[in-house]
Amino acid sequence: MVSFILRRIFVSVLILLAASFIMYMLTAYSSDPLADLRQSQSLNKERLIQALTLSLQLDVPPPLRWFLWLGGAAKCLIPFANACDLGSTISNAQVTDILPRAMQSTIQLVTGALVLAILLGLALGIITALRQYSGLDNVITFTSFFLFSLPSFLVAVLLKEFFAIGFNNFLEKPIIAIPLIIAIAVILGLIVQSIIGGDGRRRLIVGGATSVISAIVLYFISLSGWLLHPGLGPVAILLLSVGVAVGLTALIAGLRNRRALISGLIVVVLALIAYFALQGLFNISSAATLVILAIVTVVVGLVVGFLMGGYDRSQSMKVASITALLSGGLVLLDRFMQSWPTYFSEVNGRPIATVGYQTPNLGGDVWVSGIDSFTHFLLPTVALLLISFASYTRYARAGMLETMGQDYVRTARAKGLPERTVVIRHAFRNMLIPITTLVAFDVGALLGGAIITEAIFGIPGMGQLFFAGLGRGDLNPVMGYFIVIAGMAILFNFLADLAYAALDPRVRVH
Amino acid sequence: MRNAIAVVAIAGATAVVLAGCTTSGTPTPTTAKGGTVTVATVNDFTSFNYNTPDANLDTNGFVSYMTTGGFFTVDPKFKVIYDDSFGKLEKTSDSPLTVKYTLKKGLKWSDGKPITADDMVLAWATNTGFYDNGTVDDAGKVTTGANYFSTAGSTVALNGPSFPVISSDNLSMTMKYSSPYVDYAIFSPIGQPAHVVAEKAGLKSAAELTALLKKLPKGDPAKPTPADPTLAKAAAFVNTGYDVTAMPTDKSLLVSSGPMVVSDFVPTQSLTLVKNKFYTGAHESKVDKIVLRNIPDANAQISALSNGEVDVINPQASADTLKALKATSAKVLVGAQASYDHLDLTFNSPVFTDLKVRQAFLKTIPRQQILDAIVTPVDPKAKILDSQQFLPAVTAYAASVKGNGSSDYAKVDIDGAKALLAGATPTIKLMYNTKNPNRIDEFQAIQASATKAGFKIVDAGSPDWSKKLGDGTYDAVLFGWINPGYGYAGVPQIWSTSGGGNYNGYKGTDKLALSTQSLLDPSKITTILQKMDKQAYTDAYGLPLFQAPGITGVTSRVSGVDTYFAGQTGPFWNFWEWTVKGK
Repeated sequence: MVSFILRRIFVSVLILLAASFIMYMLTAYSSDPLADLRQSQSLNKERLIQALTLSLQLDVPPPLRWFLWLGGAAKCLIPFANACDLGSTISNAQVTDILPRAMQSTIQLVTGALVLAILLGLALGIITALRQYSGLDNVITFTSFFLFSLPSFLVAVLLKEFFAIGFNNFLEKPIIAIPLIIAIAVILGLIVQSIIGGDGRRRLIVGGATSVISAIVLYFISLSGWLLHPGLGPVAILLLSVGVAVGLTALIAGLRNRRALISGLIVVVLALIAYFALQGLFNISSAATLVILAIVTVVVGLVVGFLMGGYDRSQSMKVASITALLSGGLVLLDRFMQSWPTYFSEVNGRPIATVGYQTPNLGGDVWVSGIDSFTHFLLPTVALLLISFASYTRYARAGMLETMGQDYVRTARAKGLPERTVVIRHAFRNMLIPITTLVAFDVGALLGGAIITEAIFGIPGMGQLFFAGLGRGDLNPVMGYFIVIAGMAILFNFLADLAYAALDPRVRVH
Repeated sequence: MRNAIAVVAIAGATAVVLAGCTTSGTPTPTTAKGGTVTVATVNDFTSFNYNTPDANLDTNGFVSYMTTGGFFTVDPKFKVIYDDSFGKLEKTSDSPLTVKYTLKKGLKWSDGKPITADDMVLAWATNTGFYDNGTVDDAGKVTTGANYFSTAGSTVALNGPSFPVISSDNLSMTMKYSSPYVDYAIFSPIGQPAHVVAEKAGLKSAAELTALLKKLPKGDPAKPTPADPTLAKAAAFVNTGYDVTAMPTDKSLLVSSGPMVVSDFVPTQSLTLVKNKFYTGAHESKVDKIVLRNIPDANAQISALSNGEVDVINPQASADTLKALKATSAKVLVGAQASYDHLDLTFNSPVFTDLKVRQAFLKTIPRQQILDAIVTPVDPKAKILDSQQFLPAVTAYAASVKGNGSSDYAKVDIDGAKALLAGATPTIKLMYNTKNPNRIDEFQAIQASATKAGFKIVDAGSPDWSKKLGDGTYDAVLFGWINPGYGYAGVPQIWSTSGGGNYNGYKGTDKLALSTQSLLDPSKITTILQKMDKQAYTDAYGLPLFQAPGITGVTSRVSGVDTYFAGQTGPFWNFWEWTVKGK
């Protein structure tokens, strides 16, 4: 094992060195940082060229300059010395100053999209595998391939046009037309009945109920101006939380496990009490407060599950803690919604943003700035999500189909295990093994940013750093970008190998 | 029981931590009376001192324009308009050229300290390089002596023989020039606040800084001396102390003499300027806040404009951009930029030694066709540029075009070119930037047209074209110049034989170009420039092609942005006239 790791590190360093040399040469010879100055009519052009030559060492030929750069970059390896020198940009900013900022923007942008893509992709993949060749399967397969093949700039521009500019215009007079309500309700009904499945009568009841309920909700939203003054209120929080508790119990423990169900419902009651008790605290909350509250919520859930006891405590604890987190999330969502009107007037009634990651000079508490982040990251996240979740649905669907056909699944069924246990415990877990590798690669690629999405939504992330640097022959930021993504790619490939070996007993690293 | 105590203890500890992580409620947002105007900018803000080589970028210039008082501004016709509410400048003597700057009484910096001649002296010291005695080698390293302030502009002409004279009321400064200088009237000696720079250099007051500057001798590279430590400290602060990558914690960097003052800066996102409450001049802003939002992508600027996130955009012009912008409800201003594409012939290349060959080649240049392909889709009213010296926005343009002989090349004249060539088929290596699609179009149009007259056009296009300028590997070149629109100090750059921008070995306008530099009467300068314009056409120097089109988009919420401005300050040129509706 140790020799495997050492060998991998040795090879990785060699790859990194060779790749950085190639990258340096390609960038250095592709564009000229002095091009703008050469065209300038400035009287002291010579002096400006000299100054830039001096600061970027342009008089040294690129192959030799690479060694100078390498010397500075090597100082990053000295721990705690803070001696990292990745050079400076054309406008004399240190790369070590701008790189962390770009990384932060990119992480903010891409993390949400990646997590959502994985969750949504896995969920849809599993559902379509369990309902193979149903209408739902075909529709989702078609949709995911369709989205997968859309170019990201098109998706981004369409999103801006319809979900930012269009939606903001709609908010000036937020009344949903009756035909639209009917159409949305019917579509939702169709989707839900195909997920639930079963015989025709069951499908009709489920689909019909969904359509009627969603039509009523939409009509209420339209009539009451809910979009301008949103809120959940205790009743909606209670109903949704109970739904969450029952759903989670059904998934994790099975509804026959009464103790799990009861611990979930106890947590819901606690969440409702918290809803009334914590409003005062919410008004003076900061982001740190919310983190602490989240931790407390999970702990309370675990304690409730533990105290319920029973022969399988861990199931109750899981149900209770996840329910606690989600119903606590609903309470927070309600509080965010209470700040919506304030935010709405701050941005002149046009909440959904098309550019940047924050509204300039937006004073306000954690709620208002939280909404501000949401409205700015919503569209870029959706754009990335739409394009990237397709591959996860494919992998998850194929993996699930394969495991469902395995002998051990048949054995599990033969033992008389309920279908839930077969799917969740036996099939789902094994299906996750190959996905782990995929996720590791994607997390590694995450810091590379999304050049096009970043450009269109004006998010100054890693992709922008690279692209802008390349455009004007600004070598050092390009190399800074390269170090980060190359390092991440190598690291996560390595981790994926290790994770695979740890998860799958058939694989050994030598 | 023990468990219960533990639970209570944990709960108590959590409550304490929680209490530590709260804020003191919601701050009430202040609503402004004059409203906010948000302008999209392409580049991020990097420095509060625009006047250093590193920081001489457009966005820094916009901020500097709004936060620096000055003796003049420039209008869309490139006319210099003097601002008496800040101060006056008067020429008190022609020989030696002596200029007296008098500040209006009672002006204050945004920190409440008075603006005085001390500040003008500091700006004078910064811009003239008076104290520099260093020698710089080719790689830009100082070998002997010391140089202090680094500036984006040239110091040569401004560097006078002696320290300026300061009046007893400390409001006026009289500076002498070593030789007559054509652009003396557009030097505005105001920059960084002397009291702040003095403090950073370890001095107590602006007066002490002035006293130090008065004491130090004029620098002479022939007699290098060790650097004065205090001045070096002051210079180091001015050179790099204003560069920022985040909102500075040191508020003294923000001190402004102009109508606005920076109140917030979020790197890569936005920069906010609010009114300088100590500003009393004529350019007081009607809006309370001006926000610069950094949006590099032109299409992102347009969608932000139609979504109301920005009010004014000034994107890179293209037919697609214009089409997208016109599809919004915004007002669109189209104009010509100060930069223009041009074709230059290399005088020391053998093929062009003969005037007739030069003339014949220029007669084949399809300028109207190039304009129609590149500019007309954006600006249908655009016309080909017919002067090497003036932009059409300037009054002198029309008169110069009439007499400069550009009419000889108004239309493509293949027969005329053939007659001049008399059967010869010269080979011309034409260089251009292969990364710029416009230049590729220009090259192809010229190649097609010139071939008809018998020229053999060799494609010498290169992505490294800028490195090759003046190296003799080509006979003609297509590229762009930026005409500053006002001021004449740049004239010898292109038009004198040894000018840094004369890549063509052209000698025809050498004397005329150099003579402009000592003229103090604007009308005489125009006459000489007209002569130079004519001379260049007579010698078949080359041809200007077209001005790049520019566009500005404005939402209906903002009024006062009515004219496209080609100068460096872009749409900000009249920011004090902006108003916001419905506020």
